Amino acid sequence: MKICVLVKQVPGSEAQFSVSADGSWIQETGLPFEMNESDNYALEEALQIREQKDEGEVVVVSLGPDRCQKVIREALAKGADRAIHIKEDAPYNTDPFSIATALANTIKDEKFELVLSGLQSDDLGFGQTGVILGEILGMTTATLVVGTEIQDGKIKVKRELESGWFQWQTMDLPASLAIQSGLNQPRYPSLKGIMGAKKKEIKESLFVDMCDIDGLQSFNGLSVQRAEKQTEMIEGTVDQVVSKLVDVFKNEIRIN
Amino acid sequence: MLYPLERIIFVLAVFVSVGLSWVTFSKMFKVISRGTDPIDWKKALANFPKGFGVFLSQRTLFKTRPFIGGIHAAVAWGFTLYMAVNVVDILYGMIPGFHFLPNNIIGDIYRFFVDIFSLLVIGGVKYFIIRRFLANDQKLIVNKPVLLSESAKKGMRRDSFIVGMFILCHVGFRLIGASFEISLHGSDWSQPAATVLSFVWTWLGMADGSFVIGEHISWWLALGLILAFLPYFPYSKHAHLFMGPLNYMATKERRSPATLEIMDLEAEDAEQFGASKLEHLPQKELLDGYACIMCSRCQDLCPAYTTGKELSPSAIEINKRYYFNEHLTSLAKGEETTEPLHKWMLSEEALWSCTTCGFCVDVCPVGNEPMVDILRIRQDLVLMESKFPQDAMDVFNKIETYGNPWGMSPQDREKWIEGQNVPVMREKGTAEYLYWAGCAGAYDDRGKDISKSIVKILNKANVDYAVLGNEETCTGDSARRIGNEYLFQMQAMQNMENFEKYGVKKIITQCPHCLTTLKNDYGEIGIELEVIHHSQFIDQLLAEGKIKPEKNLTDKITFHDACYVGRHQGEYEAPRDVLQAVMADKNNLIEMKRTKDQSFCCGAGGGNMWYEINTGKRINIERFEEAIETGAKKVATSCNFCMIMMEDARKVTGQDETMEVVDIAELVAERL
Repeated sequence: MKICVLVKQVPGSEAQFSVSADGSWIQETGLPFEMNESDNYALEEALQIREQKDEGEVVVVSLGPDRCQKVIREALAKGADRAIHIKEDAPYNTDPFSIATALANTIKDEKFELVLSGLQSDDLGFGQTGVILGEILGMTTATLVVGTEIQDGKIKVKRELESGWFQWQTMDLPASLAIQSGLNQPRYPSLKGIMGAKKKEIKESLFVDMCDIDGLQSFNGLSVQRAEKQTEMIEGTVDQVVSKLVDVFKNEIRIN
Repeated sequence: MLYPLERIIFVLAVFVSVGLSWVTFSKMFKVISRGTDPIDWKKALANFPKGFGVFLSQRTLFKTRPFIGGIHAAVAWGFTLYMAVNVVDILYGMIPGFHFLPNNIIGDIYRFFVDIFSLLVIGGVKYFIIRRFLANDQKLIVNKPVLLSESAKKGMRRDSFIVGMFILCHVGFRLIGASFEISLHGSDWSQPAATVLSFVWTWLGMADGSFVIGEHISWWLALGLILAFLPYFPYSKHAHLFMGPLNYMATKERRSPATLEIMDLEAEDAEQFGASKLEHLPQKELLDGYACIMCSRCQDLCPAYTTGKELSPSAIEINKRYYFNEHLTSLAKGEETTEPLHKWMLSEEALWSCTTCGFCVDVCPVGNEPMVDILRIRQDLVLMESKFPQDAMDVFNKIETYGNPWGMSPQDREKWIEGQNVPVMREKGTAEYLYWAGCAGAYDDRGKDISKSIVKILNKANVDYAVLGNEETCTGDSARRIGNEYLFQMQAMQNMENFEKYGVKKIITQCPHCLTTLKNDYGEIGIELEVIHHSQFIDQLLAEGKIKPEKNLTDKITFHDACYVGRHQGEYEAPRDVLQAVMADKNNLIEMKRTKDQSFCCGAGGGNMWYEINTGKRINIERFEEAIETGAKKVATSCNFCMIMMEDARKVTGQDETMEVVDIAELVAERL
């Protein structure tokens, strides 16, 4: 089975963020980057499917600047067979439709049976790329996937619903699945994997060549949320204070 | 003395016995040669004085169990003397009319010593037999849940019994034979024990004829027994007699007990990293198995073993030894082993339980290094198999992404210096000393307290220093001890670049793990840094009079030795000196039962800071209870990992209100 995994490099969740000078994006210097968490699970799922069948190919596709090479190498070290890097320079495109279009144009001739992506990126968090990509390529799509089972020409997926409910859905292949974190145990690359990754192919292309549409949405500006403490004194008679307190609990703090 | 027929039988028996034993010994050396990193036998030979010195002085036996060590020394010296005795006795048996220097003072002295040492050896071995078989000394047993192979379980007692009985009979019958000779030729007070024994025979009414027969039987039971034992000797742990000293001769010099050779990760032809199978271990470490006498001293203070975990350093060597015996022929032939080490030498849990405290290596009387085996097997599991505790993987990922095992932002590394008046390298350019805060010293709350205390001391003493601030990144200690050589080397390269950039030559650090790594592991890579522990540096400042803390600490205090300051660096006095510099009454420093080179680990080393082993008691609790026993109100540490572990144990044992854990630097800084 030929599987594509979309892998994104995102700023580490423990990093300290500040807004860049022009206010368009975050300040990147000195920022630690890592593989998007749910993408890591998607990669592991792809590797496990390939290992179960003992055949097939796992190709990682990443879109972003040169620094993305790090996560691409990491994916290759873990066992992906080859990679495609769609290069993009700042200012980065933040529109999921354009991104999905670039990805679709890049992989359309590869005839993947399965495209796995993380549920959402830890930086932008739109959660749309995998779905739009599936739509463009005419694949069946599913989100919040927490389990997969390859069947003859089909795939059975387990989806996470609200309140501890799950849905099992059998879908036609090819399919594009957005993977939820936690469905497997991502591996750590072996030394052989790390060394072997250096010899694996990374095909490069440019974002501008792959995306022929204008972004449908963009950021106007970024600001940092400020935490502020505020004390409000409630005054009045005991009855007034109590009824005001109850009102605050009910409607502002929302204690049920 | 012997009849001609006896002499012929003896000579034939010598050929058979020596021949059989030779065959086995040569197989043993073939087994050893199966290992990697060949022993340089020429160098080993040059080390002969070292090995022989240990053998003669028996000094390595007295580190712990000095009483048993003394008995062993008596047996060993007696047995050494018996090498000569056996030659003399063979000549006495084989050459008619031969007597060794009769009526000569030297001959008499010789006979006197033989007589006395016969008694000592018999007494000593009897003691050993009683201790093992009647008193069932728990120290000689490997307890559950440690993995012990079936052949080891059966073999340990059998071997001890055979060896014990052999020595007892060999020496006993030699003494009895001498007494018969005395009965035949009249009393000889140079041999008091034999003479007394000869009176017993007379008292029993034995006739001259029976003395002759008795002397012949005794001769055969004393010397013939050697021939009977010789083919079995190499299979038994008694081979430690040769293999122990040989092990000392083949010793590999290490910068510190847990500092392994640097791996060439780029090596094109390398198929294996770390040790998965027996033949991946270096030859010296295979020899370890043959050198082990199974005294299990290494278990006595092993933090994992004594708290009921699956690890026993002793069991590693014991399992190794019986594996050799079981597979002797196939191993000697060069056949590949099939089972991975972590299936039969020790369990996987045991492998991760090692805190690399270094006690087992430090205490072993024959120079074995079970801890090093563990580190090599970890390397295999991490680098080749990617099989290790989940929490360790998180730590690897955090070090990779954030440069510290806590996964805190690298941009926050220098936050602790805010408001501290601390020079930073990127602004200062260069300084005589680099103060290395380390990840704990930069991120952990108590660690930051220690760092702040140290810079206060450095400022007070006008030391020319600076910190790397956000440019500092994890040294890779935990990564390396867990087995991730790749990550360690990546971290080392980053740090070494910075050292070069700022011309760093001297480093002060309060983290003994950083210290070992910077000094020894980086040293192994090829950068020689002068790294000094804060206990030593403060001690030095005190001695030079550059700081003068008030001597007004009146609380009773106990000091917990950090393994990587103590056993790994050999420093026990400096932190105590520093404590004394602030104590009003020097008698208020109360040592714990286990202290200095026999100190008990806090449980955090070797990567154990980062994952939980849930079997048995928690190591830090065990240690803190010992601190409570002293009655001290303060537990002083000189390591940020020890600090974290002791702080945790203080709360768990309900001592939050009554006791305090402090770093020696804090005690000094608050008195400046």
